[in-house]
Amino acid sequence: MKGKTKIKQDKPKQINYKDLVYKYKLLSDLMDCVPDVIYFKDKKGRLIMVNKAHAKGLGLKPGEIVGKTDFDFFSKKRAEMMAKDDMYVLKTGKPIIDKIERATRADGVDNYVSTTKIPRYDDKGKIIGLIGITRDITRRMHLERIKEEKVRIEKRLEALEELNKLKSEFISTVSHELRTPLSIIKQLVMLVFNETTGPINEEQRETLKRARGNIERLKNIIDELLDISRIERDRFRLHYSLVNINELLRDSSDFFKKLAQDKGISLNYYLPKKQINLFMDVERVNQVLSNLIDNAIKFTEQGGKIKVEVKLLEAKVRIGVIDAGIGIAKSDLPKLFNKFAQVSKIPRVERKGVGLGLSIAKELVERHGGEIWVESKLGVGSKFYFTLLRFYTVSVLDKHIKDRINNFLDKGISVQFINLVIVNYREFKERVNVKPRSLFKDLKEIVDITFKEICRSDIEEPRIIQTDILNGKCSIIFPKATKKKATEVAKLLKDKLKRYFIKNKIEDVFIALGVLSYPKKVHPYTAKRLPVSLSIKEIYIGPEMRRFERIPYKANIKVLLPENKTEVTQTVNISEGGICFVSKRSLATDSQIKIELELPKNKKTIHVKARVAWIKEIGRLPGQAVNKYKVGLEFIGLKDKDRKILSKELKL
Amino acid sequence: MDKKRILLVEDEKDMVYAVTLQLEANGYEVLSAYDGREGLGKAKKEKPDLIILDLMLPKMDGYKVCGLLKADTRYTKIPIVMFTARAQESDIKLGEELGADAYITKPFEPQVLLSKIRELLEK
Repeated sequence: MKGKTKIKQDKPKQINYKDLVYKYKLLSDLMDCVPDVIYFKDKKGRLIMVNKAHAKGLGLKPGEIVGKTDFDFFSKKRAEMMAKDDMYVLKTGKPIIDKIERATRADGVDNYVSTTKIPRYDDKGKIIGLIGITRDITRRMHLERIKEEKVRIEKRLEALEELNKLKSEFISTVSHELRTPLSIIKQLVMLVFNETTGPINEEQRETLKRARGNIERLKNIIDELLDISRIERDRFRLHYSLVNINELLRDSSDFFKKLAQDKGISLNYYLPKKQINLFMDVERVNQVLSNLIDNAIKFTEQGGKIKVEVKLLEAKVRIGVIDAGIGIAKSDLPKLFNKFAQVSKIPRVERKGVGLGLSIAKELVERHGGEIWVESKLGVGSKFYFTLLRFYTVSVLDKHIKDRINNFLDKGISVQFINLVIVNYREFKERVNVKPRSLFKDLKEIVDITFKEICRSDIEEPRIIQTDILNGKCSIIFPKATKKKATEVAKLLKDKLKRYFIKNKIEDVFIALGVLSYPKKVHPYTAKRLPVSLSIKEIYIGPEMRRFERIPYKANIKVLLPENKTEVTQTVNISEGGICFVSKRSLATDSQIKIELELPKNKKTIHVKARVAWIKEIGRLPGQAVNKYKVGLEFIGLKDKDRKILSKELKL
Repeated sequence: MDKKRILLVEDEKDMVYAVTLQLEANGYEVLSAYDGREGLGKAKKEKPDLIILDLMLPKMDGYKVCGLLKADTRYTKIPIVMFTARAQESDIKLGEELGADAYITKPFEPQVLLSKIRELLEK
């Protein structure tokens, strides 16, 4: 060891300068490439070497810094603080590592820096200076600040959610508690009213009648509060059944016509001749309808008219309640369906209820997969509309199923398709203690047996069964089968399923069985494209044929609005019966407009008249000035020529 | 014909008062009990023609009383009308599983109660 050291000391001239220069180059490259400020100071705080970043930070060249001290560049206060740190390191020999300080850069910008100072020793171990590294950590600090802020907000949000939960629970408890005394009051009042406790005179009867009316009012408010608390706590369940809409409206008409008559208002119902059966929670849909009609009566003067109409749309049923009452101010429209919303223009005395009716109606309609909206003008009247879904099984078709069907069709193979959907699956799963896994195993087996019974060996291509346990769906694809076969399968399947559910005592299950027939796209021999005529049959909803298939589709559309205005936008989906697009304007339901539709595949433009069938407000994003609306149009008087162009454009 | 006897189990005294008056006015004899245990005891001892049972009762709730009576062959035929302040599916489901014959949600119309009682007694 000793010998080696001696050799080095003895032969200083033998240093390889080339090597030295190379090493120096490496060192200076390192120093100058690093964005951190790096410097060497001697014992008196003089800078003996600095990197480029240091000089740049001060707006100088490295040469202009060497030999000077911090006092030459920084404020006295700052330099003193730096000198203090320097002294600490130099005296104690302890390094300062990652000391975070606020600093003001030469250009006046506030930032954060992390400072590290390490003592430097000579060969004998005596401190001769220090090495310093200063790093700009403004960005890091900023990110950390954001992270902290996020945690803080999350905590606050959590607390708010907890508070909201408490509020819902409180409302629930209070409403339950209110019900008991209310029902006692009702019984006691009825004792006197019904003369159980002895005869009463006319005036007393009238007095009690008014008391009764107010008890009903109070009961309705409590029921609304309970509904809201159930919705908020996600305890709200729908009980589906197959309901005849016409009957529902007739019942409603029986009830409200008298009420309207008493107020001198004419209330008329316009029902379609066709009987419409839909899956719904009849109590809840009736609640929505009653709420709208009740409001209409409330805000219509004596001698006014109210119209209740039902329109059959392509894939929906639209119910409208139209009045010529006082109307709603434009500024009130957006918040109308919000919780606790009260319309400002109505005198306080005329406001009734707690403002929950419409928010509940919105929730109920949306839970049914429909939309609710309003069009109103102050002094002219209001039109409330809501939609309910028809052809349930088609609206819940998954993309991967569509893809599989398409695959066959592209090969020139016709496809029959059965979509089995448990409509009330969410409620069903919770109420009936059924294990989805075993239920679907059974379902698959039933489908298998049914298929074998009907088809035996006529179909070469295997059927494909796909189950979706999460959403209560089972899709069965029959390539090459005939429509007749598929319908037979569906019918037998229906009987077998019914028996299965009865046998297993599974009640309250509502299944929609959609039978969709996709004909061949291409003629197998001539390779000619065949016209697409998809037919849909839905068992349990009645053998209604869906007229058209809607297809997601992007095309430019020019909408010629009333007052000679135009709007250019893109379609969302399209069918032979109509289109859907997003508009910046709220269009009046049933108003007629003209559109220009550019068909990209045909490269043709068609001009069509259309009617606004339904409209849905799409939530406004923060900072966005205008609302957006999804609008459904139905074509009116589509020319044969245009229809052909359109159906050519629309492949599955 | 003998007066039909109805046992009313309900902890709200004013409710008992009101319903009793109504039932008596319609020709029924009314026995009352103010908690579940008392109700169960009276039902077994008196064997009424029908029982009106509130859900939320002190000492023993309506479900329990209903379940115990319906499980006992000696009392299983006595029709039970359940009173509830909650119109919740789960309550009704549970009550039906226990064998309650009818459900009435508070607040109710006296006529509704009377027609339910008539219907059950005629069976």
